[in-house]
Amino acid sequence: MIDFTIKQLHRGLREKQFSAVEVSEAYLKQIEEKDKALEAYLSVDREGALSTAKGVDELLKRGEPIGLLAGIPLAIKDNILIEGQRATAGSKILKDYIAAYDATVIDKLKRENAVLIGKTNLDEFAMGSSTENSGYQITKNPHDLSQVPGGSSGGSAVAVAANMAAGALGSDTGGSIRQPASFCGVVGLKPTYGAVSRHGLIALASSLDQIGSLTKTVEDAAILFRAITGHDFHDSTSVAGIDYNDELLNPNLDDLKKLVIGIPEEYFIEGLDNEVADSINKVQKSLEEAGFKFKKISLPHTKYALSVYYIIMPAEASTNLARYDGLRYGTRGGASNLSNLYEENRGEGFGSETKRRIILGTFVLSAGYYDAYYSKAQKVRTLIKQDFEEAFRSVDVILSPTAPTPAFKIGEKTTNPLEMYLSDVFTLPVNLVGLPGISIPAKGREGKLPIGFQLIGRPFREADILGVGRVYERFEEVSS
Amino acid sequence: MKLDIKYFAKLARVKLSPEEEEKFSGDLGKILNHFNELQELDTTEVKPMTGGTELRNVFREDEPREERSGRTGVEQFPKTKDDFLSVPKVFE
Repeated sequence: MIDFTIKQLHRGLREKQFSAVEVSEAYLKQIEEKDKALEAYLSVDREGALSTAKGVDELLKRGEPIGLLAGIPLAIKDNILIEGQRATAGSKILKDYIAAYDATVIDKLKRENAVLIGKTNLDEFAMGSSTENSGYQITKNPHDLSQVPGGSSGGSAVAVAANMAAGALGSDTGGSIRQPASFCGVVGLKPTYGAVSRHGLIALASSLDQIGSLTKTVEDAAILFRAITGHDFHDSTSVAGIDYNDELLNPNLDDLKKLVIGIPEEYFIEGLDNEVADSINKVQKSLEEAGFKFKKISLPHTKYALSVYYIIMPAEASTNLARYDGLRYGTRGGASNLSNLYEENRGEGFGSETKRRIILGTFVLSAGYYDAYYSKAQKVRTLIKQDFEEAFRSVDVILSPTAPTPAFKIGEKTTNPLEMYLSDVFTLPVNLVGLPGISIPAKGREGKLPIGFQLIGRPFREADILGVGRVYERFEEVSS
Repeated sequence: MKLDIKYFAKLARVKLSPEEEEKFSGDLGKILNHFNELQELDTTEVKPMTGGTELRNVFREDEPREERSGRTGVEQFPKTKDDFLSVPKVFE
């Protein structure tokens, strides 16, 4: 049953093919067997998982109705707070930090009686594209242990891909859900900025961060998204009054086919891996056969997005990470004065990439350089936003690769940060503009490593990208 | 361009090893060169995008609410005395 989707597990529970405790035990056993080699989990909550599962079994025994996520084992990225559990964000500076409250998304999942089976590995504070920047361990790609799983939600992607969880939560600041989903062959949804509360997510870059899901199917992504979306008093950027009605879980597939899909010419650039280009072409053919119309579009400022992102993200990160001052978190050490205490704690507690980005962020915000870098980047961000607004005048959904290559070797890009940053080149414009994006595995490939494609939608039109994804999955199911 | 890494590390309150200083200096130099491409664009008439969304302002009534007590926060603190947080001297 561990290879079941959330939907299938739910049906099995309702029809009493197995109990919730049996489900949790099966996943716990899989973790025990597989995770020594994969290192996806930072902590596993066996006791909590089994106790929630028992509660669900009691509900079932009494014949009470259960929600779609009741008894479903989910993995949670370790930058999302669960009350009473360690939350490290992959950083040594938070190695002893126990969360004092539940993130809003966790509160929502607990109310649904979802089983929170464990916390997953990530690049430190979600800064990275390979999960190699974790202060704790290097997670491996289950399709080939010598390859990275992508990042920063690498642990969550691997947990789902290796059947160690039925679904997972991650966070996406520049591609951190979609890129590992592509590398590991799972579905990764980054919702619209404001669609999901960020309360209780350890902040990286607050104008870009968004919590989303990693799942086996697009339908499961819709189930998890519906469970975590909604306005929250504690997050003033979360948006009220979005009504998704029934279209997330029961989309009208014929209506969906009226949507026009755009192909941005700037995303098919030199340096795009041949295998990736081929798979995207194949996906387009399948979607055309399924009935969708395609249109070429242009997003002319695409090439500037990487620079804009690597100015804005470190600027916000350097500000957000100022709170790790050695006083509230971390070890105190025997520093002689306050300034030394800050410097020593931060110097020891942060890893290389984190320090590099804090210094870069401090630089672009500093008095002499603010206008030339930070302010300029904010303006070009507007131009990138206008590109998408223009494109969405003539198309409803945009199709692109998720990442320029399949997974790469562990260690291959750690010495060259710019090259590492390029692996998010197709996903980060979506965060700059705050749009919803999803990565879906391209089917019918022969290579060993999975490749994903990305669908981008209008703000708060998750239903469009989920719907097109559903049509694609069904089309491939029928034709295979 | 070359960046005075020691100065910005000091501003950011991060201690770097000599090896880190050298490595970061090279890395950041390359990254900053890459950023120069933004200067190609004329943005004199463009308004900056200052947040994740620019949809509308969000207001709420400023009313007191029952929130969790500060206890768990105190328990989390690395060093406490009675119910207070203990921190090093700020003024010499």
